[in-house]
Amino acid sequence: MSDPTAAGPTPYDGTPGRGPGASQRHKRKLSNYLLDKKLQLRYILVVTLLSGVIAGSLGYMIYDQRHKSTQSIDRDLQELVQDAADIKSITGDYETEDRVLVYKMIGAGVGLVVILSLYLVIMTHKVAGPLFKTSIYFDRMAQGRLSVVTPLRRGDMLQDFFEKFKDMHDAVRQRTVEDIDAMEKALAALRESRNQGDYRGDAHTAFAEELEQLEQHLEQRKKQLT
Amino acid sequence: MANDRGYKRSWKNLLINKRYQLRFTLFMVGLSTLLMTGLGIWIMIVATETTKVSITSERGKRCSKIPAIQPPYEEQPAPTPTTPPEPTQPTPGAGSGSVAPDDPEEPRKRPKINVTLDEMEMTKPIIVVPDVPGRGDIYTLSDKGRELNKKSFGWLVVDHWKCELEIVSNVKRLEFGHTRILLVLIAAGILLVFGLAIYGIKMTHKVAGPLFKVQLYLAKMRDGRFDKVYDLRKGDQLVEFYGHFKQAHAGVVALETSDIDRLKKTIAAAEVAGAGDHPSVVELRAMLAKKEKAVE
Repeated sequence: MSDPTAAGPTPYDGTPGRGPGASQRHKRKLSNYLLDKKLQLRYILVVTLLSGVIAGSLGYMIYDQRHKSTQSIDRDLQELVQDAADIKSITGDYETEDRVLVYKMIGAGVGLVVILSLYLVIMTHKVAGPLFKTSIYFDRMAQGRLSVVTPLRRGDMLQDFFEKFKDMHDAVRQRTVEDIDAMEKALAALRESRNQGDYRGDAHTAFAEELEQLEQHLEQRKKQLT
Repeated sequence: MANDRGYKRSWKNLLINKRYQLRFTLFMVGLSTLLMTGLGIWIMIVATETTKVSITSERGKRCSKIPAIQPPYEEQPAPTPTTPPEPTQPTPGAGSGSVAPDDPEEPRKRPKINVTLDEMEMTKPIIVVPDVPGRGDIYTLSDKGRELNKKSFGWLVVDHWKCELEIVSNVKRLEFGHTRILLVLIAAGILLVFGLAIYGIKMTHKVAGPLFKVQLYLAKMRDGRFDKVYDLRKGDQLVEFYGHFKQAHAGVVALETSDIDRLKKTIAAAEVAGAGDHPSVVELRAMLAKKEKAVE
């Protein structure tokens, strides 16, 4: 499955922006349509079953009415026409028509269910897709990575939700960048003052080690922003 | 549960994400309405046809006729076999097997009779005349006639009208059945639309609810507040998605915590080294305080 969040490597430049791969659009693939099976299949099953029940029960009513009509004609013919062969030839057509009606309705019902299911898979995919993409960003955030967020595809639903997520992500990233900048400046200033000041002994060594640790920490944080 | 604040669902809050919820609900309701209407019209067309056929069939039923009250017919002596009768012109409308008069021109003898009927019991048997050519409405002394003789006249009239009224009643019943199908379809359609609308909104609410909750946390995170994340309510969907969010939240909190740890150590080392009042250390302290407040 392709990564819908892939935006290509973005060098850390201190500002959130789109990397070179941000313009890359991920096309919908048939194999990826059932992203959240539980959510999608639940809705699809409810709507499809409901439509099946409505179509089935009303279809049965139609058949029942038609059959009653055929039976009524059959009864009348038995009173009016003596020859059984004549009756058979007339009612046979009606019975055939009834059977054809049943086949037609079954065909229409199956067609309805298939088309409806496919349509619903596509429709629910437009909800499951953004959720899937957001989940991938959440996983990255869980690892401390705050990379660039690319927009949703055209036609996707939950655009409002994703916009809010993007706002949050950008704000956290921006704050992190500012914090790193501030800490880098502080680190540089403290190193400068350590060189100029009269610091000696263990405290001096420990302070130097802490500044070293801080620098490594900042390097690590910068990597997480790419 | 410590992570569950147990907010109850309220009907006022059912439509949290109108766009998403109404879209899915309206699709479901619209589709069902379309199906109901289309198939309903089809049903009504077939039902109308069936009702017409049944009514026609019903109206085609033959009821026994009310017998005519006739004076007894004087039976002519049968012609002697030795003298064959002269061939006569058949009278139009003459029934086969009926006793035809020898000379149509000759008026028949119709003696006066008094018919008295017991009004209470109506037991006086009617006298049924033999078949007369051109008088199809009069019952003959056939098997039917003999059977009629067994019944009283009153019961025959009752039978006739009972049959007629039965036909009328059956026609009315068929017409009512037709109307009932229409009413049932309309009622079922209305029930279905309302039922589905409520079910659709409740169903989508279980998705929109967690999304709404996540949005609230997202807004807090955007503003630099990383409060404790509570669990979803029982019955909510997107549990897995919410799990991802919780991990993300925990990840960001972990970043802040690691910053706090590093800052604390750096500030402590600077203080020990005698650089506690350095403007950069003061800045780092302010940053530390801000970060500590954010993860409270």
